[in-house]
Amino acid sequence: MEQDAERSTSTTTIVESTPEGPGLDPIARVRKLLFRQMLVGIKDGRFFLGNFHCIDKQGNIILQDTVEYRSIRRSSPSPTEQRCLGMILIPSSCRTSCHVDCSIEEQLSLVQLKE
Amino acid sequence: MQPVREESSSIHHHPRNSSIPSGDNSVWADVSPLLSAACSDLHEGELIHGDNFNLFAAMSALEIMDPKMDSGIVSAFSSIDEAIESGFAPVPISSNSTVNVESIIDIMDHLLVCEATWHMGHSLAQTVFSCIYVLRPERTSSQALLHSYCRVIRATCRAVVSVVSDARTNEEDDLFTMTYGLPFNGDEDAKGLPLLNAVEETICRQLRACKATSSKKRVLEELEPLQTNPQLEESFCKALLCRIRFRKHFLHTLNCMRRPQGRGLELARKHIASCISELDSFLESAEFLRIDVVENGENEIEEKTTASGRHPIGFDPTLNKRLSAPTPPRAIKLLSWKKAIDYYVKLLHNLDQICAFSMEPDLDYVLQSVIQFQKSRPDLVSRAHLQLLLVQDGKLYGRDTFLAICARAVALDATRDHALQKNEYILQLGQLMTNLLKILCANTPWQRRKLGKILNDWSIFRVQMGITVGQAMQQDTSRTPKNGDKSLVILNHIYGWLEEQINWVALRFLMLGFDLELYSPSEYCMVYWYIYITLWKLAERARFRVLIIVNTEERKAKKNKDYHRDMAREDRISLCVLLLQCQTSLAQGLTVMLSALRNQGMCIKSEGPFNTENEKFTQHFELLQKASLPEYDAYESYTESTSHTRLDYLPMYEYFRDAQKIAKDIKVGFANDPGKLAEVRGLEQVAEHNIIAVNLISRDCSLKVSFEFNHHPYFATAVVRRS
Repeated sequence: MEQDAERSTSTTTIVESTPEGPGLDPIARVRKLLFRQMLVGIKDGRFFLGNFHCIDKQGNIILQDTVEYRSIRRSSPSPTEQRCLGMILIPSSCRTSCHVDCSIEEQLSLVQLKE
Repeated sequence: MQPVREESSSIHHHPRNSSIPSGDNSVWADVSPLLSAACSDLHEGELIHGDNFNLFAAMSALEIMDPKMDSGIVSAFSSIDEAIESGFAPVPISSNSTVNVESIIDIMDHLLVCEATWHMGHSLAQTVFSCIYVLRPERTSSQALLHSYCRVIRATCRAVVSVVSDARTNEEDDLFTMTYGLPFNGDEDAKGLPLLNAVEETICRQLRACKATSSKKRVLEELEPLQTNPQLEESFCKALLCRIRFRKHFLHTLNCMRRPQGRGLELARKHIASCISELDSFLESAEFLRIDVVENGENEIEEKTTASGRHPIGFDPTLNKRLSAPTPPRAIKLLSWKKAIDYYVKLLHNLDQICAFSMEPDLDYVLQSVIQFQKSRPDLVSRAHLQLLLVQDGKLYGRDTFLAICARAVALDATRDHALQKNEYILQLGQLMTNLLKILCANTPWQRRKLGKILNDWSIFRVQMGITVGQAMQQDTSRTPKNGDKSLVILNHIYGWLEEQINWVALRFLMLGFDLELYSPSEYCMVYWYIYITLWKLAERARFRVLIIVNTEERKAKKNKDYHRDMAREDRISLCVLLLQCQTSLAQGLTVMLSALRNQGMCIKSEGPFNTENEKFTQHFELLQKASLPEYDAYESYTESTSHTRLDYLPMYEYFRDAQKIAKDIKVGFANDPGKLAEVRGLEQVAEHNIIAVNLISRDCSLKVSFEFNHHPYFATAVVRRS
């Protein structure tokens, strides 16, 4: 039940710690996210889903094997059109959201740690 | 750690939709705060990346939201449907019938501009298919005029795409045939033409009705006028009629030209003539259409995409931008309406030139005609048509085998020799000829590159054929000394002719360098030297071929009293040989003059700070040397023959005088061929001017000499000035 509830809201925040321990610094934790599926939303309403490849100090992200999702109508934001783009660079200035695919267990432990 | 905690409160974005699935048994976790914490900890220039990261590869990443790279940026509308729902392309366009007609004319004009811009190398998606009425013709089915016009536009685009992709000349302009994701519905679009005919009929009647006197009007009263303002009715009808008729004839032209073996060319010429006369009516209608706009004081009409100068309704080039992937989005500038009309006039003239081909199975004629055609730099569409006409099913015009054509070039008849058709060399020759003709229809830079490359194939083929034919000839003469195998005779003559053909290709390769401005004045000396040796060989082989032809024809005439000798053809070929000799003398004269100037320091030497003369020589002529043209060390021969020329000896050489004399003699022969006559006149003038220049510079070394191409595109005229 609890898992279902988490899935429906589909969002959690990785804030401070990972199961590896609270001592790990943010850079090391971001490094652990490399190669994982990342979903980035940008200003004009599109989403990009790809493998996290690189990030620089300015927050520009490079994704690999990316798929672009866009909504057909502005009024109902349902991303129904998609196309493959390969390697893309998302400048931090146009990024509005960023999520990583993680297991429910990992997420649950994160929530527990957060609390 | 502190800043991270603070930022965590600002998280509000999350995937708003469940349709982007996370993995099985997994969820999306927001990492924005973590990323920003990590970023602030990073040093300047530091990256977080995996082991497989490669900065060079990363440079090729597509930058999102960069207008030059990201074709997906959501602009005015998210989709075509959204645009339609917002009333961007209403049907009908206006409830006021006059405004409706005006708007339709604007759409027609803008579509013409879009189509021309597409032909010039932009994507179909960003040009013709930027029109919502073209994208969704089913919406306008109640509006016969707009509907049928859009259907015909689509059918025309289809016909053009099919010509260009069948000809496969589009490697050079790969964007042209990209129709991925565009709605092409052949069956529905084919219905456009009959519908447009019906619409034309109606408008014709409306035009007659408004012209008719009041007494007759009663009879025609049942016919509803095109629009409500009776004063404008006639002009509107006329403006629409010429636009409709142009579309109709243009589509007919394209279809006629595609008929096999050039059977539709005659009819196509009639449609082309109609198209051109309708284009004149376009310009006439512009006066009337822009009355409103002139009153509003708008002066920039020249740049507009419509005759009226108004912006058309229902066009958004950003709608389909994503379909132009995988190429990056390109900024496109549409032509103006006036320029588009000029473009069509040129296109139609080029198509007419193709239709005027005499379809003679004469290789010399075909090659000359193709080169003449290419002189006006025709665009992709007409070049594709020419190529499809020339080569169909591996035959010339889809009719004559290349064996027959090549045998005819040496006055032999190979049509009855069926065994020869399957000869390995003949099959290969057919392949080489097909390839050559296709290349000659390509654009200039592409053509030159390819010609250089195929030279090697031709010369290898010639060497192999030479060995086989030589061995066969030896065996043959030992067996039957009197009556040799006829196939072998043909093969032997074709082998001899190959050398001429190879030198012809080499000459074309060298000449195209002038068209592409590849030669600098300091390199003219080596270029003319190479042209000279190529021309010399070509003229020699051609003269030899004339002897064979005359000899064979004479024998045929002796054997058979009724035999009709084609004297006109024999004369034509002999004239061409003389023309080649004239050019040879000119090239030789130029080489000597340029080398003398160089040797005495009156011209800049071709040695620059970066590469030696030998290196430049190799850069220009490497492909020719690889194909053993000439068979000796070209650079050595070039330096030897040009290192001792001196200015004071120049007038002793009679090269320019020889050229002038031949030119004078052959002018009469070309009286019926205006193109060739103009060329001979040009050559004569080059010779005349250079004779004067030679006399001047041999006496006074302080003169300044430069070279211009004002009399002939390939043979330079020396211009002498006091310093």
